[in-house]
Amino acid sequence: MKTIFGYEGSVNAKLAPLAIALAGGAGTIAAGWSGWGWYTVLWAALLLAGAVWHAYAPAAAAGGDTMIASYLQGREQFGAAVLPVWGRHMENSRTQMEDAVSDLAGRFSSIVDKLDHALHVSSLAGNQDGAQSMTAVFSHSESQLASVVASMKSALQSKQAMLGQIRDLERFTRELRDMAEGVASIAAQTNLLALNAAIEAARAGPAGAGFAVVAQEVRHLSSRSAETGRNISQRVGQISSAILAASHAAEQSSDAEDQSMQSAEGMIDSVLADFRTMTDALVQSSDLLKQESIAIQGEVGEALVQLQFQDRVSQVMTHVRENLELMPAVLEENRRHYEATGELLAPDPAALLDALKSTYAMAEEHAVHGGSKHVAPKAADADEITFF
Amino acid sequence: MAKTILVVDDSASLRQVVGIALKGAGYDVIEGRDGADALTKCTGQKIHLVVCDVNMPNMDGITFVKEFKKLASYRFTPVIMLTTESQESKKEEGKAAGAKAWVVKPFKPEVLLGAVAKLVLP
Repeated sequence: MKTIFGYEGSVNAKLAPLAIALAGGAGTIAAGWSGWGWYTVLWAALLLAGAVWHAYAPAAAAGGDTMIASYLQGREQFGAAVLPVWGRHMENSRTQMEDAVSDLAGRFSSIVDKLDHALHVSSLAGNQDGAQSMTAVFSHSESQLASVVASMKSALQSKQAMLGQIRDLERFTRELRDMAEGVASIAAQTNLLALNAAIEAARAGPAGAGFAVVAQEVRHLSSRSAETGRNISQRVGQISSAILAASHAAEQSSDAEDQSMQSAEGMIDSVLADFRTMTDALVQSSDLLKQESIAIQGEVGEALVQLQFQDRVSQVMTHVRENLELMPAVLEENRRHYEATGELLAPDPAALLDALKSTYAMAEEHAVHGGSKHVAPKAADADEITFF
Repeated sequence: MAKTILVVDDSASLRQVVGIALKGAGYDVIEGRDGADALTKCTGQKIHLVVCDVNMPNMDGITFVKEFKKLASYRFTPVIMLTTESQESKKEEGKAAGAKAWVVKPFKPEVLLGAVAKLVLP
């Protein structure tokens, strides 16, 4: 009588389930390494755990059949206890991953929206389109200021033309003064002539008395003419002085306005240059923002492709979880088979693997099932779309 | 006026991803989490195109397309199947149900938008 893990009984009867379990575990681990993947490793873990469970089960102290039946029942209970927990963990992980990726996608969506808004605002400052663009505002302002400057120059030219006319008036007054002096000269000569006439009238005696009266009147007229000439000359002099003063004041005003005009023009040019520098910088930054935005949108597009892999992983996890949920039924069937026939068979992995395979939707699942370690699908190109 | 696209997928993240691509191109988007939900959501709506997954709970994509096409308002509304399925037999099922195009995930946004622009109703 030998003791195995503290239990008594026939060696064969006690060792049989353990040996089967170990052999099955070792076999499936070997199969796992050789290409069946982690799924078969899971099988091995399950079988080995079942063996350990059995080894410590008090029920195994009974006879061989009882021990085997007990082992099978324990294994079934093990599956019923462990597999739902594993399934729930997988489902919980899958759900968490989906929620996180969904949240991440939402944040990307928000980034894209904000980027679009920033681009829209920026395009208003740039030279892309629209009457409200910064460049358009600058051009409009420049045009309006040029119009104001032209208007001011025109007013200055009109003023200078008026100054020219005032200078002409001064020339006219000089001519008037000359004419007044001419009148005074004529009056002096007339006076001299009248004096001679009076002398000749005196020499003529009584016969010249009437002529002497005429000569006296002529002298009187020449005296008044001389007086009028002086008055005219004096008035013309006053007018001339007034015109000279007005002309001088107008010249000073014109010079001041000319300087003011040049100064204003210079300032406008300076302000426009500063404005141009600013708008150019804004347009450049707008263009840069647009380029960066295009680059970011490209990155976001790539991120959207990568985010879709969560869906693929989620599907694979769901398929595996659903397959895990079939395991208790397989173990139960295995136990019932033993109870019905007395034949102790290792659970057939083909049934579960076939069921798993029937759920595959992706080519990579088939590839991994067939033994590939790592399959990385790429995003479909335009020519991979099937149009019906 | 923006055209409306019904996006049907049981994955919330996929609906988000498709939504980002479509909204970025100026489309309005209505979402359905499976075929049955999508049939409810589209009622009374003017739908210019449908982007639909295949494997979904409650009502799968192929069944949804068949039911959707029975509705008089949507008889001529184009449907693009967007799925991880790439088997020819599945594509044939989609074609028989009334789908106009088949795009395999993961997709590039510009590729999906190209197909949408080609098929969307005026």
